[in-house]
Amino acid sequence: MKMIILIGLNHRTAPLAVRERLFAGCEEEKNLLPEFLAIDGVAEVLFLSTCNRVEVVAIIDDNPETAEKLKKALMKKGGLMDGEATCLYIYRDDEAIKHLFRVTASLDSLVMGEAQILGQVKDAYRQALAQNSSGVALNRLMHRAFRTAKRVRTETEIAANPVSVSFAAVELAKKVLGTLTGKKILVIGAGEMAELTGTHLIGNGAEDITVVNRSIVQAAAMAEKFHGRAAGLDNLDDILSCADIVLSSTSAPSYIITESMIRRALSKRKNRLLFLIDIAVPRDIDPAADNIENVYLYNIDNLQNIVDENIKNRRREALKAEKIVEEEVKLYSNWLKELEAVPTIISLRTKAEGIVRAEMEKAQGWINSMENADKEKIEALVKGIVNKILHAPVTALKEEKVEFDSPDIVAAVRQLFRLDD
Amino acid sequence: MTEVELKLFVLAGIFVTASTIGYLLSLVVKKVQLARLSTWILLGGFVFLALSLILIASHSTGWSNFGSRCFLSLYAWAISGIYLGMQIKTKTRVLGAFVAPLILLFIIAAAGQQSDKNLVPLPWQGWLTALHLLLAIAGEALFVLAAAAGAMFIIQDNLLKHKKPGKMSRFLPSLGDLDRINQSGLLWGFVLLTFGMIAGALYAAFVWEGRWFSDPKIIWALATWVVYGFLLHQRLAIGWKGFRMAALSCVVFVLFFTSALAIRFYLPTIHSFI
Repeated sequence: MKMIILIGLNHRTAPLAVRERLFAGCEEEKNLLPEFLAIDGVAEVLFLSTCNRVEVVAIIDDNPETAEKLKKALMKKGGLMDGEATCLYIYRDDEAIKHLFRVTASLDSLVMGEAQILGQVKDAYRQALAQNSSGVALNRLMHRAFRTAKRVRTETEIAANPVSVSFAAVELAKKVLGTLTGKKILVIGAGEMAELTGTHLIGNGAEDITVVNRSIVQAAAMAEKFHGRAAGLDNLDDILSCADIVLSSTSAPSYIITESMIRRALSKRKNRLLFLIDIAVPRDIDPAADNIENVYLYNIDNLQNIVDENIKNRRREALKAEKIVEEEVKLYSNWLKELEAVPTIISLRTKAEGIVRAEMEKAQGWINSMENADKEKIEALVKGIVNKILHAPVTALKEEKVEFDSPDIVAAVRQLFRLDD
Repeated sequence: MTEVELKLFVLAGIFVTASTIGYLLSLVVKKVQLARLSTWILLGGFVFLALSLILIASHSTGWSNFGSRCFLSLYAWAISGIYLGMQIKTKTRVLGAFVAPLILLFIIAAAGQQSDKNLVPLPWQGWLTALHLLLAIAGEALFVLAAAAGAMFIIQDNLLKHKKPGKMSRFLPSLGDLDRINQSGLLWGFVLLTFGMIAGALYAAFVWEGRWFSDPKIIWALATWVVYGFLLHQRLAIGWKGFRMAALSCVVFVLFFTSALAIRFYLPTIHSFI
């Protein structure tokens, strides 16, 4: 009998220091699959390693020794002490399937719903395919895992809304301006948050970034990262009229952009839509600017409220996602149980076909005296009778495995038909 | 109208009704897939309407079979055609929630007309009148689209200004896209209407006698042309963009739509067939 086992650790079960050690140990020796496969009783194996988790998924013989050896091999690679074994979790069969599906669907991620993990699991599977360490059971398991992830993404809104301030700002910019391609950005201040948001804006197609800062040196340093321009605060009025998105995050004690500056800029740009992001505390942009037509001003609190709401929404959607995972686990588990009955079904059919062949050969003498058409009819008749007789036990084997999870019927069929002789 | 033409018209009506219901439901459940499906259904309505109109045209000499029902169907066909054409480029499916009900309104109005009444007078047949009618209808259909985009802009603006970018805001198109549709609607609507009016004026000046320019519908059309021309000028030259133009497009559309209805029902006009 085979079983599915999943051994690993993640950001919830292991401190950063342990994760780092395991990650580094496994990274050092790029290809661990042959080593895991060499363990006695391991039939198929997949190895997943990201900065937040390291996991081994394997199809192994159902005996504790194989599982223990696999666990020890993983610990050895990561340089884990015996005392640190508590960081590891071990899931078997349905629990293992469920865990893998949850991981792939990003329900177990640090930021739930993030898309990166799916790509990482796909890479791990590609590696397993390349190393021939994935067989029938693991192939099907991984395809089911990807299907679950796809269902979770399309049937729930788990990844629909951003859960970080910088992404929320980018989404809003798109909602105001439409496409960001070709849009001009003005970044005021050279803070970390401004840099992150600027990077996301560029990633979404925005071009032509101008960085303005009190210190022109700092502005130039950030502008270089964005392949943009640097300018001093003196030119703010002119630059403002060209920008479609303004991102401000200075530590100035008073407003850097006043309402009248925005009005002037808007007049110069013929009232084209303007999106202002003020992530500074105290604020850089006069809140009165929000009353101007075609100007949309969001401060850090507005953005944080959106993020909080989106996080709540993700948690609600996660409940729906868990149901999808349960459904998919059941489907795979049923398939696997059917698969267990397959060798018995094959033996049964082979035995029946052998009997038919032997009896037909015995009867060659009188069969040969018949017309060809009659011979074919007799063959078809015999095969038909055998198939009809076998239909009930084969169906029972499949259904019994799925519905009652009882191995007895397999043993009974093997004994009744003397399949092991 | 033959039986086949009528069946096609009824089929078009069923498709447009289904599409309108789909679009409105998509607003409630906020599922863009439903809006997408409604767009395909609307395409079905557009095709049936086109077949019905082509069949009628093929049986008629010039405009001889074209009456109020055909022209109102032509409006519905033009609005759906322009909206669907625009979908290829902008993919703002949700806008259909505001456009489809207007198309349905024209279909219902068309269904309420007797197909053999209010026909285009026989002496008016000719390519110049055809050009005049087609261009004017297409121009007005573009103004309908500009108004629908304007109405949706106002809702989206309200959600974003009040810092409520929730499900509804995510579902609606961006302000930038809606503003661009509004501009295209105004610009191309004005261009087509201008050529349509020139064609009509040329025909009237050479063929008609009498004070044709004092006809209420012609005065209405001139007023429409002047007001939309003014809006377009303000938009392109002065910079009346975004919210202001969205609101004005809606107000101007409602004013002209209701006044067109008033003229149609209460004033004697040589354009009684529309």
